[in-house]
Amino acid sequence: MNKELRSPLLFIAPVLTFILIFILLPVIGTVVTSLYKDITYLDNKFIFFENYRQIFQDPGFWQSLRFTMFFILVSIPLEMLLGLIFAILIDQEVPYKGFLRVCILIPWAIPAAISSRTWELIYNYNYGLANFICSFTGISVQPVNWLGTSLGAFFSLVLADVWKTTPFIAIILLTGLQIIPGEIYLQAQVDRANFLQRFFKITLPLLKPVFIVALLFRTIDGLRIFDIIYILTHGGPGGATASLSHYSYKYFLAGDFGYGSAVSTTLFIISFLLSLVYLKFGKFQNTLS
Amino acid sequence: MKEEKIQSILILLGSFFMVGFCLLPFIYMLVTSFSSSPDYLSSKVSFGFTFNNYRSVLGTDSLHFMQYLRNSLLISAISAFFCVFIASLGAYSITRLNLPHKMGFLFFILAISMFPQVCLISYLFKLMTSLGWINTYFALILPYIAWILPLCLWILASYFAQIPAELDKAALIDGCTPWQVLYKIILPVSRPGIFSTALLAFIFAFNEFLFSLILTSDHNARTIPVGIALFQGLHGEIPWGNIMAASIIAVIPILLIIIMFQKNIIQGLTRGAVKG
Repeated sequence: MNKELRSPLLFIAPVLTFILIFILLPVIGTVVTSLYKDITYLDNKFIFFENYRQIFQDPGFWQSLRFTMFFILVSIPLEMLLGLIFAILIDQEVPYKGFLRVCILIPWAIPAAISSRTWELIYNYNYGLANFICSFTGISVQPVNWLGTSLGAFFSLVLADVWKTTPFIAIILLTGLQIIPGEIYLQAQVDRANFLQRFFKITLPLLKPVFIVALLFRTIDGLRIFDIIYILTHGGPGGATASLSHYSYKYFLAGDFGYGSAVSTTLFIISFLLSLVYLKFGKFQNTLS
Repeated sequence: MKEEKIQSILILLGSFFMVGFCLLPFIYMLVTSFSSSPDYLSSKVSFGFTFNNYRSVLGTDSLHFMQYLRNSLLISAISAFFCVFIASLGAYSITRLNLPHKMGFLFFILAISMFPQVCLISYLFKLMTSLGWINTYFALILPYIAWILPLCLWILASYFAQIPAELDKAALIDGCTPWQVLYKIILPVSRPGIFSTALLAFIFAFNEFLFSLILTSDHNARTIPVGIALFQGLHGEIPWGNIMAASIIAVIPILLIIIMFQKNIIQGLTRGAVKG
């Protein structure tokens, strides 16, 4: 090998090795397994696309796909809106700026599995905080069965997810706010534009590229949601909140690796197509300049 | 003048809402951890302030909480260390050594960070089983390094790209090897960036749930998120007091990191987060 190429490859080799062994091969392995009937204690059998044919006729799969899509459609717009408001707040030059930024990092940094246990208690039917607030403020006289009904479970998960991921969006949007040159605002002030005009005519249009990147990133991230569902609802009641990740996990748990892999692979293809869109929209080449 | 007043009132109200929104579940966790009966919000039951939840979490060995926490801290720290080391080699190759197709390579890495974790678990489980590593630190540290690498690589590449190229060109002319340039110039100059990246890697590893759920089976390697998630009472009643006290203890290291290094974390995230 020529000398020009040797050291760059040598330095990148450890990265490649780790990614190959622990990410690429697993994905390839999953795709291959999805073509087999692979159930624990039974002989493996190559069945080609049989698992996929079954997926298309499996009402549980369609329910899971529908839930995942609905979940993204409801939670992500909320997160983007709230994230935008929070980003503007932590961008302000106020004396308590450091405190605000510590607060916003807390939901992001606490492991989702741990905070979900607290949400589980918040949603407790008999003595949880959610029903306490509802009856205290008079929103609902009857206690709400948060996790036991499909609608309640859906919105419980949305709230827990919005709480967990909004800070992350706010921090991404903060990057976008910080690259808007201050002179534009000064000029707008000279032109007597009020703050609403400044927000809609300057901030929002200039924030658009970063906003789209954050939106796409969250969409791909939302597709693979698992932790909070595993803890709060276990996919229930009756499979109403089983995300695609959780649905295929259940098959792995039951020892049906072939079918579980086929569901995973379907999820993988959906998120891979979305990441191609993401890569096209994000101006990532700027990182290195 | 009037407009500025409206604006500052809005900011103050918004800040109150934001702080309440972010802290409410945490405060509920904290308050409940000191109560002898978690149903204190329903009428007729008194709060019953107590340290017993902490006492039993810290003092009952059979609950294994402290062991889970120790596993988590060690596994996350080791993963973060090696991840940042490996990523800095890679980022150096990309930004300084004229790696061919470097943009294509970075895009490839970015696409990989978007893979759903559930696509990896069956293979990783089989791999770790065949190596006899299930329920050991190895079973988690190796996949964690790979899983967090894309993020670290992107952040470090963006830090390294900002170091003036003349600095290492001069060193190369003086006869330094690429390794010496990295070791003696790039790494020392970008120390704050490396530190921020390591903090993020630690937090990401500490947060990880699915790999730990699949690849560990008991307190010998299980991490604290899984330990807390799987904690059920012996007699059917969920011991909320204990769970909340354990949660508070588990998030103390994370809280300390956030409070001490808030600036580094936000800086690191704004460098790397947009990119995945």
